[in-house]
Amino acid sequence: MSRPGTDEIVVEHLTKQYKRLRAVDDLSFRVRSGRVTGFLGPNGAGKTTTLRMLLGLVTPTAGTATFGSRKYVDLPDPVREVGAVLEASSANRGRTGRNHLRMICRAAGLPDSRADEVLATVGLTPAANRKFKGYSLGMKQRLGIAAALLGDPRVLILDEPANGLDPEGIRWMRDLLKSLAAEGRTVLVSSHLLGEMQLLADDVVIVAAGKLIRQGPVHDVLGDGSGHAQVRVRSPQTEQLTAALATLGATVTPAPDGSLLVHGAEAAAIGHAAFTAGVELHELATEQGDLEQVFLQLTAGKAGIR
Amino acid sequence: MSLVNAELFKVRTTSLWWIMGIILLPLYAASVLANWAQYANSEVTGDTTDLQAQQIQAALQPINVATSLYTSGQYFGILIVLLLSAIIVTSEFFHLTATTTFLTTPHREAVILAKFGAAVIIAAVIWLFTTVVNLIVVPLILGNLDLPTQLGEPAVWRAIGLNALAFVLWAILGVGAGVLIRSQIAATLILAITYVAGTAVVSIIFALLTNFVAEWINNLQVLVPTSASQLMISGTDLPGSPPQWVGAIVLIGYAVVTGLLGTWITKRRDIS
Ligand SMILES: Nc1ncnc2c1ncn2[C@@H]1O[C@H](COP(=O)(O)OP(=O)(O)OP(=O)(O)O)[C@@H](O)[C@H]1O
Ligand SMILES: [Mg+2]
Repeated sequence: MSRPGTDEIVVEHLTKQYKRLRAVDDLSFRVRSGRVTGFLGPNGAGKTTTLRMLLGLVTPTAGTATFGSRKYVDLPDPVREVGAVLEASSANRGRTGRNHLRMICRAAGLPDSRADEVLATVGLTPAANRKFKGYSLGMKQRLGIAAALLGDPRVLILDEPANGLDPEGIRWMRDLLKSLAAEGRTVLVSSHLLGEMQLLADDVVIVAAGKLIRQGPVHDVLGDGSGHAQVRVRSPQTEQLTAALATLGATVTPAPDGSLLVHGAEAAAIGHAAFTAGVELHELATEQGDLEQVFLQLTAGKAGIR
Repeated sequence: MSLVNAELFKVRTTSLWWIMGIILLPLYAASVLANWAQYANSEVTGDTTDLQAQQIQAALQPINVATSLYTSGQYFGILIVLLLSAIIVTSEFFHLTATTTFLTTPHREAVILAKFGAAVIIAAVIWLFTTVVNLIVVPLILGNLDLPTQLGEPAVWRAIGLNALAFVLWAILGVGAGVLIRSQIAATLILAITYVAGTAVVSIIFALLTNFVAEWINNLQVLVPTSASQLMISGTDLPGSPPQWVGAIVLIGYAVVTGLLGTWITKRRDIS
């Protein structure tokens, strides 16, 4: 394996044994910079526990979780290197959003002005002087993201950041995380929203029952779930089209809406076959596999809550 | 130093400090008045034992009146310092901000050290406030009692200094206790009850033990933090009790032990 860069997350043989339960079990994976990595798994899979070990909040029973080769506690200036959002409700109820951020600035040696800058970034400026107890769930989540951005870090770690965000907020976060990754930063996001992850993530790490199930680029992982991508074709001459596709060796399944789902042939080959058979086409579209389906297949039988 | 600053900022940015201030002010005023009333009306009554009579007489000597007046507000001031110090720690768990705090500063002993620093500074501020007001008001009261101001007496300044030491030691004790009793409600209740009821209950228990078991047990009373604190700050040595410095040593011992234990536990504990 290559030498890890300082903004690469390296998890090796990570294990956490609680009294009766092995929450994380010999887990190894890497998170590359410049990409958004989705951290997926059923409830109780050990995602939060893994992230807390990575951030030095929970002591591993065995194994290591590091940034490059350094543990979080060994980072000389953690706030400027790593930003993390771990839970929505983590601010004093009686403190204003701005003061919550300033408190972090003081402890980290950042100028107070950073607080106002990140408040503007997450769109919380109008609520800056309101107390945390008056914040909605989505506003709390945005404050958490603002806190993570304070030190302009190279690595971002977010535990279910989409929780409580409205559709506009989810899109805003997707754009934000993608642009941060495009700047070369490392972005690790845990989530249950698989549709959202499919839009957001470049890579995924799937865990269940504390163990690694699958790791890799999203399109690879989608590939091995459903075999090949499927192609949807629509034609007024369904029977001739089915016959023409049979000569390609493709499997054809009629869909309820009258279209045909084709497996085992690419769109170009299907279009060509239709053309030579003189069949009129109204729709010809390649459909990516569905992350949700693949996820459910991969984690089937590995019960979530233990 | 920036961490201590951050801890003080945390205290300043919630309503806690002025709520505590509002509680403290009337209690402080009441204790000054109560002290005044006590010395204005007290005399030695007939049916007391020799030791009690000696103690009361000693307490009524002008120098002892002066030292106790110049340290007015100590009882409630220390109570407030104790509670504030504990809350500095417990609020992190009560409001789930420990995660943010330890992400910002992963070296946990540095965080706890900063909390000790902030608590000591708060204690010093409250001590300074009560002491300055005392230095203004007490000469007037002493005049009313037909006693000299005695501001030239070393014993007065020693009492004021020991008063400061008591504030600081109780602040450290409070932070340590906050780490040991992580629940905010439990910590404030236990500390307040122990502090307020503690001295009275302990002296009853020790009186019984002394009467029915053995005389020497009474000397162990100094091992109770509230008794040790009282002994340390009782101005001048009163007959029948261990020397003042014993109280100081015991209180310092408690502060060091809770401080070290608290830091050690915080370093090991999983934050989730
Ligand atoms: N402090 C703890 N003591 C005992 N068990 C714990 C503790 N923290 C977590 N667990 C257990 O470890 C397992 C993994 O929990 P974790 O919170 O890491 O899951 P998760 O993948 O984040 O789940 P979710 O998707 O629901 O957030 C769970 O079964 C949980 O009950
Ligand atoms: Mg979780």
